[in-house]
Amino acid sequence: MTRVAAVADIHVGVDSVGRVAAGLRHVNERADMLLLGGDLTRCGEPVEAQMVANELAGVEIPIVAVLGNHDHHAAQTAEVVEVLEDAGVTVLDGTATTVGVDDATVGIAGGKGFGGGFAGANATAFGEPAMKAFVEETKREAARLQDALVEVRPRADRVIALLHYAPVPETLRGERLEIYPFLGSHLLAEAIDTAGADLVIHGHAHNGSERGVTPGGIRVRNVAQPVIQHAYRIYDLGEPAVREAPVAATG
Amino acid sequence: MAEPQEYLVHHIQDALATDARARELGVDVQVAGDRVVLTGTAATPAQRAAIAEVVGELADGYQVVNEMTVLSADEDGAVEELK
Repeated sequence: MTRVAAVADIHVGVDSVGRVAAGLRHVNERADMLLLGGDLTRCGEPVEAQMVANELAGVEIPIVAVLGNHDHHAAQTAEVVEVLEDAGVTVLDGTATTVGVDDATVGIAGGKGFGGGFAGANATAFGEPAMKAFVEETKREAARLQDALVEVRPRADRVIALLHYAPVPETLRGERLEIYPFLGSHLLAEAIDTAGADLVIHGHAHNGSERGVTPGGIRVRNVAQPVIQHAYRIYDLGEPAVREAPVAATG
Repeated sequence: MAEPQEYLVHHIQDALATDARARELGVDVQVAGDRVVLTGTAATPAQRAAIAEVVGELADGYQVVNEMTVLSADEDGAVEELK
């Protein structure tokens, strides 16, 4: 049994003392790891990151996070990451990590992702430099996520993709259609489907829906706290499949 | 002439994203008659109040109706089995 606790968009500000910690009192007994899908802070100030670290102090299970757009606002992401890493949080940015659960290994590949919209109504890298830069940012995020998934897969029994932005429109249901291009991109889903994963976790869309699926059939869960209406959600990945033994070298 | 209501909505949303008291993008702002109705979710009660304060300063002559909820953080959510 592999139990993954996940939440996003906790938006910790200087007036948030104790709120997140109160919701995590029993997470150590209930789950094997805690995933944070971005927007940990309200404005991306290092002092807010320190408050996040304080709120997470009682969490003893591994914590893996990505940053969200709010965490970028103050343009101090290096400092924010440093504060979080010092507190024991693994922060992914087009990278991957593994968490051991009993005899199994769960790989988590993550990144912020970005917007652009979904197939048939998506932005394209055409015209003004600003438009091209917007789309290139998404392409870069998708490519780095795909590389991280490919890299971690051989050393993991289960693989989770952790994002802030949404890879599919299904988990945006409830949001205004006009803002979908600012909430996610199908390029992220394409990257995940190409590389393969068992579960996708994201946030960002506060008015969206919890459950969706990629075009390739991978389950997607929007764990933005306003969506799940709880401190976190737990996903039980079940017993891991037995990993194939490496083929013995011959000759 | 009074500001057209559509521009007021835009100005309010801009202020909610940039004003240090609010910093919130997820507020749904509707102007209806002489009321500005706010829905969505704030992280804390203090942020919920600050958002209404920012809106009140911009929406001169309007009544601000704050229907925002505050993030729920209780721990007893269901476990979903993904088998």
